[in-house]
Amino acid sequence: MSKSNGNILEIKDLCVRAGTEEVLNHIDLEIPDGEVHALLGQNGSGKTSLMMAIMGFSEYEVTHGTILFQGKDITESDVCERARLGIALAQQRPPTIRGITLRDILAYVFRDEDNPEKKISGLAVSSRLESFLDRDINHGLSGGEIKRAELLQLLALSPIFSMMDEPDSGVDVEALSLMGELINRLFTSDPDHPVHRKAGLIITHSGSILRSFPIDKAHVMVNGQIGCSGNPTILMKHINNFGYDSCIRCMGAR
Amino acid sequence: MVLNDADREALTVTGVYLGSTVRSATIVVCDLAQVCLENNTRGFELMPISSALERYSWLREQYFFKALPADLDETVSRCAKEVDPLGFFLHVDKGVKIALPVQAAMYMKNEDIVQMIHNVIILEEDSELQLITGCLAGHEIKTGTHIAIEEQYIGKNARLVSTMVHAWGSEQFVYPHTGTVVEEGGRFESNYVSLRPAKHFVSNPQSWLIGKGASAKYLTVVLASPGSVIETGGTVYLNAEDTSAELAHRGVCTGGVMNQGGLLVGAAPCKAHVDCAGMLLFCGEGGYIESVPGLRSMHPDARMSHEASIGKIAPEQVQYLMSKGMEEREAISMLIRGFLGTDVEGLGAELDGQIAKIVEVAGHGED
Repeated sequence: MSKSNGNILEIKDLCVRAGTEEVLNHIDLEIPDGEVHALLGQNGSGKTSLMMAIMGFSEYEVTHGTILFQGKDITESDVCERARLGIALAQQRPPTIRGITLRDILAYVFRDEDNPEKKISGLAVSSRLESFLDRDINHGLSGGEIKRAELLQLLALSPIFSMMDEPDSGVDVEALSLMGELINRLFTSDPDHPVHRKAGLIITHSGSILRSFPIDKAHVMVNGQIGCSGNPTILMKHINNFGYDSCIRCMGAR
Repeated sequence: MVLNDADREALTVTGVYLGSTVRSATIVVCDLAQVCLENNTRGFELMPISSALERYSWLREQYFFKALPADLDETVSRCAKEVDPLGFFLHVDKGVKIALPVQAAMYMKNEDIVQMIHNVIILEEDSELQLITGCLAGHEIKTGTHIAIEEQYIGKNARLVSTMVHAWGSEQFVYPHTGTVVEEGGRFESNYVSLRPAKHFVSNPQSWLIGKGASAKYLTVVLASPGSVIETGGTVYLNAEDTSAELAHRGVCTGGVMNQGGLLVGAAPCKAHVDCAGMLLFCGEGGYIESVPGLRSMHPDARMSHEASIGKIAPEQVQYLMSKGMEEREAISMLIRGFLGTDVEGLGAELDGQIAKIVEVAGHGED
């Protein structure tokens, strides 16, 4: 841990290009071990790009800077290496894949377990996704069902650093409390010591998920940069009152 | 000629297990001779076609070259001239449902053999049969020609499930011809899997659905690799009311040429669909996939449709699976497997295993 200064994730001066567009512009971000941070920001501000770059998707090309995970430089690591280090991402719009089911993926994740079927069905029941296990992955699912299916996979992977891209968008009120429960379960590392949590990063617009799940710190993204970082409740309240325009003006004045 | 352990092992690649207790009967042709015939099950006859032709005059009169014309093309004409043909006759009695599959192997053990086969399969009314046929060359064998004629007659409310697995040498020429006649309420299901492509492979099985409610379902799974030309088709004539047909082609091309076809001919109120799907992984020199599904309607109440798609493996799908901890190769294998296995209900364990082998070859570039 000494090498990582207590941070599970450290991003230093990161610039990322997607196609011909610069989507991240000199990002610095530190997430201490055991903390869950939120990314706030308008559509197109770079939140999803940052998560995809942390996960290592090749469409997001790092042109400058480094990503350290537990003190190890993973900037050049591929997606699989990062996943195996314990990083996982619940995408906002995951691809639909013909002929591959949610069960297939879970069976892979649990391939070395003694009773994978039991684990798969247990997770499916708790996520209320039993009827989707044998359908093509993400095919014909509503927005809320996709979110649950992605979250279910995170629970299966049990990563040490979880990222979720808008887990609350398109989710109805009833399912929202289920999502809150599942997210809490995902980040719980020791049920007897609820303050001991696994680390992560969550993108949200509405902040509704923040009410059911405590966030340690929030960061506001504007035009591929991190503007303000601080207390999530204060930041969310400010944005609700004054909108992101105030952040854009503030960033412009710097 | 006696089959040694290596031969027996070779046959297992195509789902043929000699001495197995999970098969009701076995027949093996090796090069130019029949080498094995076992049948301990009542309710059906299995014998060399030459013996059957001697024993039953009605066979030649009613069935031999009746589902396929003897002058269909040059290769069929060549077979028709054989005085003492190789191959088997399989006759299932009325109402008999054979629980365990019958297995047959057409094995080419030596180089430069020209193997010509003629099989006739008859299922009487209300009978059922599952047939597993392995057609293959020995693992080190490169050259030779295999020409096969298979005529199948499926009686009223009878059901034939035919699973055929091929594994050929890289310089071989393979021309199978299948003609199937399905009577009222009869069902024909064909699963064809090619594991090791020949240099040139042409197959255009033909089915005639002549009785009300008859159906045919084809799944063809093939691999084309550099230097091979693979042409898979299939023609179904829907000649009676309420007949139905499905033709599905799944091809993975790692070089070489792949032509996927399929023609549905609707001459009565019927329902049919043909679907050609190709995955082009590498073109190599001059490699390509061409998909041409076809429809011909001769009746206003013939409801027929077709679709064709050719694509590569989408990088975002590979990386999505990698984000679940899969290595790139594992992700590609899973995607190919999903592509080949999609929409296939009730795949037998053998066929499933063979598809896994194709995935291994296609996804990893190894043989």
